Amino acid sequence: MSTGEVRERIELLQGTLDLLVLRTLLLGPAHGHAIMKAIERSSDDVLKVEQGSLYPALHRLIKRGLIGFDHGTSDNNRRAKYYRLTPKGRKQLAVETSKWDKLASAIARVLRPVT
Amino acid sequence: MSGVLLDLIRMKRKALDDLDADIRDHLEREMADNIDRGMTPDDARAAALKRFGSIALAKEDTRAVWIPVWFDQLMQDVRYGLRMIRRTPAFSAVVMLTLALGIGLTTAVFSVVNAVLVRPLSYPNADRLVWIATPEERSNEELVMSPDLMAWRDQAQSLDRLAGFFIGGERIDVGDEVVQARVVAATDGFWDLAGARPALGTVPRPGEQGIVLSHAFFERWFRGDPGVVGRAVPLNGRPTAVTGVLPPGFRVQLPPPPAWSGVQSGEVDFYRASIIQPPGPPGPATAVQLFEVIGRLKPGLSLARAHDELDAIRANTEKAFGAQFRPRRLRIVLLADKIVGGARRSLIVLLAAVVLVLLIACANVANLLLARGSTRQREVAIRTAVGAGRSRMLRQFLVESLMLAAIGGTAGVLVARLALAGLVRVLPEAVPRLVETTMDARVLAFAAAVSVATAIVCGLAPAFTVRKTSVHDVLKDGARMASASAGSLRARKTLVAAELALSVVLLVGAGLMLRSFWRITENPAGFAPERVLTMRMQFSGPRYRENTNRIAYVDELLQRARRAPGVEAAGVSSSADSRMRLDIEGAPDVPREARPSALVSVVSDGYADAIGMRVVKGRWIRDDEPAPVFVMNEALARQYLAGQDPIGKRVRLPWVGNQSFATVVGVVADLRYSKLDARSEPELFTDYRHGRPFGLTVAMRVAGDPTKAAPPIRALLAGADRTQPIFDVKPLDVALADSIAPRRFNLLLLGMFAGSALVLALVGIYGMIAYSVAQRTHEIGVRMALGAERHDVVRMIVWQGMTIAAAGIAAGVAGTLALTRAIASLLYDVTPTDPLTFATVAGTLAVTALAASCGPAIKGALVDPIVALRCE
Repeated sequence: MSTGEVRERIELLQGTLDLLVLRTLLLGPAHGHAIMKAIERSSDDVLKVEQGSLYPALHRLIKRGLIGFDHGTSDNNRRAKYYRLTPKGRKQLAVETSKWDKLASAIARVLRPVT
Repeated sequence: MSGVLLDLIRMKRKALDDLDADIRDHLEREMADNIDRGMTPDDARAAALKRFGSIALAKEDTRAVWIPVWFDQLMQDVRYGLRMIRRTPAFSAVVMLTLALGIGLTTAVFSVVNAVLVRPLSYPNADRLVWIATPEERSNEELVMSPDLMAWRDQAQSLDRLAGFFIGGERIDVGDEVVQARVVAATDGFWDLAGARPALGTVPRPGEQGIVLSHAFFERWFRGDPGVVGRAVPLNGRPTAVTGVLPPGFRVQLPPPPAWSGVQSGEVDFYRASIIQPPGPPGPATAVQLFEVIGRLKPGLSLARAHDELDAIRANTEKAFGAQFRPRRLRIVLLADKIVGGARRSLIVLLAAVVLVLLIACANVANLLLARGSTRQREVAIRTAVGAGRSRMLRQFLVESLMLAAIGGTAGVLVARLALAGLVRVLPEAVPRLVETTMDARVLAFAAAVSVATAIVCGLAPAFTVRKTSVHDVLKDGARMASASAGSLRARKTLVAAELALSVVLLVGAGLMLRSFWRITENPAGFAPERVLTMRMQFSGPRYRENTNRIAYVDELLQRARRAPGVEAAGVSSSADSRMRLDIEGAPDVPREARPSALVSVVSDGYADAIGMRVVKGRWIRDDEPAPVFVMNEALARQYLAGQDPIGKRVRLPWVGNQSFATVVGVVADLRYSKLDARSEPELFTDYRHGRPFGLTVAMRVAGDPTKAAPPIRALLAGADRTQPIFDVKPLDVALADSIAPRRFNLLLLGMFAGSALVLALVGIYGMIAYSVAQRTHEIGVRMALGAERHDVVRMIVWQGMTIAAAGIAAGVAGTLALTRAIASLLYDVTPTDPLTFATVAGTLAVTALAASCGPAIKGALVDPIVALRCE
């Protein structure tokens, strides 16, 4: 992974990319590039993700049955794979999100204890 | 489970299918976005690629989600291995053929061992089935007398079933024809013990007569007509009801019939009920039924417990039935052990032998792989240099040898199939239960395990020499390869020497068997079996209860035989079918058990001429003897007359000549007609007119091929009385060869193994020498440039080969001397350390080694020194 970027970016924690992908797909089916763009946009370009690492993440989620995919034609009439959330994925997203919230607040409490 | 796996594979294929297209699409979109932001197409492209990161890595990581890394690498190794096999077809073919031979022979022998020694008998609770016998001290006769059987059946607590049976030939009328059939006559308990559940009808009810047909007999002689069940069929001239037909797969597994019974082992045609008769009133000639006996132990009881109980019951037999039923020894063994008998030892020896063949094959393959390993050092070094780990290289070597072994093993299973089919066809009766041999799951698992073990053993050697080589050395200077593989050459020499040593063991084993075989066949059998045709018949039916009718029939038979075309001499003999105690006049009076016993045959005048029997002293029997006379064999004279002249001695037998003494008029050489490798037993002959034949062997010396002469002669003899079938038609020398079928089986297999070993050793030495010559081409060039003559070079190379051979042969001879004692019991009239055999084997191997080293040596010497010097 490259370092020395001018603008400061934060490396993603291991496995969190999967969670972000699920969250993005909650809004509706999307193709790979669109998912990546959505993550970058909604994190205000703070998160530093190599776009290539999206694909292993997508396939991990397919294998676990959390997302599915269909072939479709996009806006500019190009064939593309559209990934969508499965009901199982939707449930998993809820679980992971609440886990994440707990983790984040726990870490926050440790770092900035309320006196 | 496999369904889930299949789903996963389908999902994987679908998901990975257009990964490339997906990524391309992603990059194009990113590029388009960049252009929208005002970049030039080139910049846009570069930025997109940068944002994406390594495409190769992304793809690899994605694939890794679905396919474990090790699997991917394995597939790479397999592809690489396949490429290696294709690139070196001759090498690969030799390796695979060697492995196919080794694995195939081993699998074939294991299949036989599996069928005969490992697989249980096909009876219910086979592990509790026992065989019970009461052996007589002097003879080999082990049958149980009916009083014992009855007492055990009624009183024994340690057995939950007991049955007597007898295997014999009987005459059955199937409508158009009278057939001599192989029959098991069995008492009530048999059906349950054997697990006989008829496919049609039932088994006979207790105490009733009845026939249960085998499926094959039912199909052949009753054309599969179910109407036969319930019909009465003439059996030995007496109508007997067919009560059932057994299912096709039913096979009865019983010990082979005793040799003296004259009954050949083979498939049983039908079964019939036998009803135990109590013995007649005590007297000198009481008839008593004899049985072979099988029983089923109650669960958890030991053989010793059963032995003690049965022995205790027998103690009362004498009280109940009189003095002639004095108990004999009691023997009780597991039925499976009794059936296998002496074959166990020879099978274990054969298994050990075939493992040696496999080891030789492994040594050969390891040798070949080592040779290739050293030519591949550069390749390995380069691959290591570009980052392949050593363990990865080891794994690749193992995968390669596993692939060779898998192909070799598959071919080996085919080899085994062919070998087994051949064996069962050629010598079906050589080993009990041999016909049951099939390649079941256990055999296939065995073949697979052997293949994998072989691959590991063969693949490890080159892998380790690779492990030791230094990348730096190999890459620095390719010409130093020869010295870098000095260790590998040493390993190869050791392997070749070991191969030779193992070959010595096999060749000596086969040699000793061959010598035994020669000793048996060169030993005069006491007669001349060539061009002699034999046929058998057995009296049956009410007409032949009268002895006068029997004698009239024999007269007619002899007349016809003598008149038959091509017959030079003809005679009959009852073929030693009864064993009797005899009284020699003037001998001290001893209890019945201690009296001499002999095999008794009734014969005709022409019999001696027909089989070429040698009269040693006195004369042979004539057909018109006014009073009974006897001829004895040398064994009887030796055993019971201790140096006295037998001629003129008077002997008495229970049923000859109204129990009066009759004179001995001649002595004949010992005969070994029933079993070539058995010791001669005392025998007594008398003329058929004064005897009482039960069955006869007709022997005819014919002009020309006895097999061709047989059919018309048989038809002619059968015409003497159509109700008396003539059977077992075969040339005497064939019958004799059949009698030593187990020896021929051992010889055939060991010979095959020894031959394979010799060929493999030859290939091994040749390959090793040829390789070392190729490695030393440069050195040879230097020597010749410095003035060495061609013959010096040849001598040097041959010397190298012969020192290895000498070491191997010497080690082999030393090892074999220690081993052959294990096969002493399989030999006949040859010591296990027979010097002639050892010398021949050592000589043969030395000559083989010489021949194998000369070829490459001469080729090496013919190299042009200039070319050799340039050779790097």
